[in-house]
Amino acid sequence: MEKLRTFILNLYPTTKFFITLFLMITPLLLPGYLYSYLVPVLCLFIAMIAGKTKLFVDIVFKGLLSIVIMIFLLQAFFYPGDTILWTWKIFSIKQEGIDFSVQLTSKILAVGSAIVLFFQITKINDLARSLEILGVSPKATYVLSSALNIIPEMRMHLLRIMDAQKTRGVETEGNLRIRLKAFFPALTPLILSSFSSTDEKAITLESRAFTARTKKTSLHQLEKTKSDSVVRVLLLILFVFILIWRFFL
Amino acid sequence: MSGIEIRNLSYQYPTGSEKVLHNINLNIESGKFYAFVGVNGGGKTTLCNVIRGFIPHFFKGDISGEVLIDGKDVRDWDTSDLAQKMGFVFQNPFTQISGVKETVFDEIAFGLENLGVEVSVIKQKVQEIISLLGIGYIQDKNPNELSGGQKQRVALASIIVMEPDILIFDEPTSQLDPQGTEEIFKAIDIMKKKGKTIILVEHKIELIAEYADYVIVLQDGQIMRQGRTEDVLSHEDTQDYGIGLTQYTLLDLQMRKHNMITERIPITESDSIKVMKEWMSLQGVKA
Ligand SMILES: Nc1ncnc2c1ncn2[C@@H]1O[C@H](COP(=O)(O)OP(=O)(O)OP(=O)(O)O)[C@@H](O)[C@H]1O
Ligand SMILES: [Mg+2]
Repeated sequence: MEKLRTFILNLYPTTKFFITLFLMITPLLLPGYLYSYLVPVLCLFIAMIAGKTKLFVDIVFKGLLSIVIMIFLLQAFFYPGDTILWTWKIFSIKQEGIDFSVQLTSKILAVGSAIVLFFQITKINDLARSLEILGVSPKATYVLSSALNIIPEMRMHLLRIMDAQKTRGVETEGNLRIRLKAFFPALTPLILSSFSSTDEKAITLESRAFTARTKKTSLHQLEKTKSDSVVRVLLLILFVFILIWRFFL
Repeated sequence: MSGIEIRNLSYQYPTGSEKVLHNINLNIESGKFYAFVGVNGGGKTTLCNVIRGFIPHFFKGDISGEVLIDGKDVRDWDTSDLAQKMGFVFQNPFTQISGVKETVFDEIAFGLENLGVEVSVIKQKVQEIISLLGIGYIQDKNPNELSGGQKQRVALASIIVMEPDILIFDEPTSQLDPQGTEEIFKAIDIMKKKGKTIILVEHKIELIAEYADYVIVLQDGQIMRQGRTEDVLSHEDTQDYGIGLTQYTLLDLQMRKHNMITERIPITESDSIKVMKEWMSLQGVKA
């Protein structure tokens, strides 16, 4: 298990990306929805091996699932069709709507969970470095990695602000409405403070010669290993196999 | 012509309503240690920004007069050459983090990576700075999760590791305890011994007396007094600009009021002991 874990986590970022791509594209190629619904399960399995179960489940359930359910209901009610299954006042659920919803949400869930998986098993800095090696400009990768790196920091900051408001008597716990009411006022100082520090951030970068025109070096060593080749070849074979099976047989 | 020359410099921030620097004239000699002192809002940070070229390269506003770095106007310098020539550790330690590095070690290495220094050399230099500043115990920590004092040390390390000729430190010890402050001063002193030019904004007068070669007193955007540390800090009326003198100087000044005249006015502890001993032996007191 431990070996499998390091095997997955140590894959080169682009290899991980190919896995993700594979998990995203194959549901779109294959008919039906069974396979598509299998993809999130597969992702969960990989996340489990990688030791990221909790984070993965958290994001997929809290974020993705609510969106999926919303889309499902909307489509079930409003997709045009004649086979009415159930009616309430002017609203009715149609068989065509259900069919379409199942198809659509299966794909969204598959693509969504593949993306979530990618960011769970790939370190941001590894990703940024591999992009740099591919020739993406360091400025672009800086924006990417600072944006992604700042999310946990912003979260902490937001919690601190909300904490401060709590001590001033603002209710922050309870039902959704109370939470939202507490959330939005906290956003203002968060956004303002992040604006005021962009200036100094720019000077910081300038002080560290970020804009120097010399070719940068990096302590961050990324290496492709045999595992990467194995995984890539396997993915390619599987993919070709699926293509042939889907379009030529 | 090495060093910095400032001629008739005046400056007003784009958002400000009046000038914050008035007709500044200053020569900064290579390899010497200059301390900028003065009350809050006196213009110390602004002057540092001008010298480093952030004004007018980065902050606009109305600037007149000239600032010459090694004989060349700071406005004609290429910004990336300036970054290598002058290091600037600024006042707020909390924003001086690249935001893209996961460990303190990598954070300190960031500047050298940008300069394209070879990886093995980077590792060695970073290691040297880490042991110089005694921050080995945090080298694997996330830079975002440090205390204010630790961030301040990392900010300092990140700049001096790049080995610029001129080092500007804007209150680099504001978050540090007395021991931490002392350590930073020792590190700065080592930089000076390596031949670097040091510009330091600092309120801790005892340490300035100990380490600085020259003191520049700023108030309301003007240079009120400048000269050798032992001259500026031994003048009673330096206090008029909100600068506290060291206790050794104050003692001597008090003695003078009572007609106990020593040979010179000391500003440091060691000099004070020497001066007092001499004075006592002159008075016939056995030490
Ligand atoms: N970005 C800015 N825009 C407009 N005015 C500014 C700006 N920064 C500083 N000032 C003004 O310039 C004057 C000098 O400020 P400066 O920060 O240089 O003082 P300082 O000597 O560094 O003070 P401190 O000891 O508090 O750090 C102050 O009156 C201040 O209000
Ligand atoms: Mg200041």
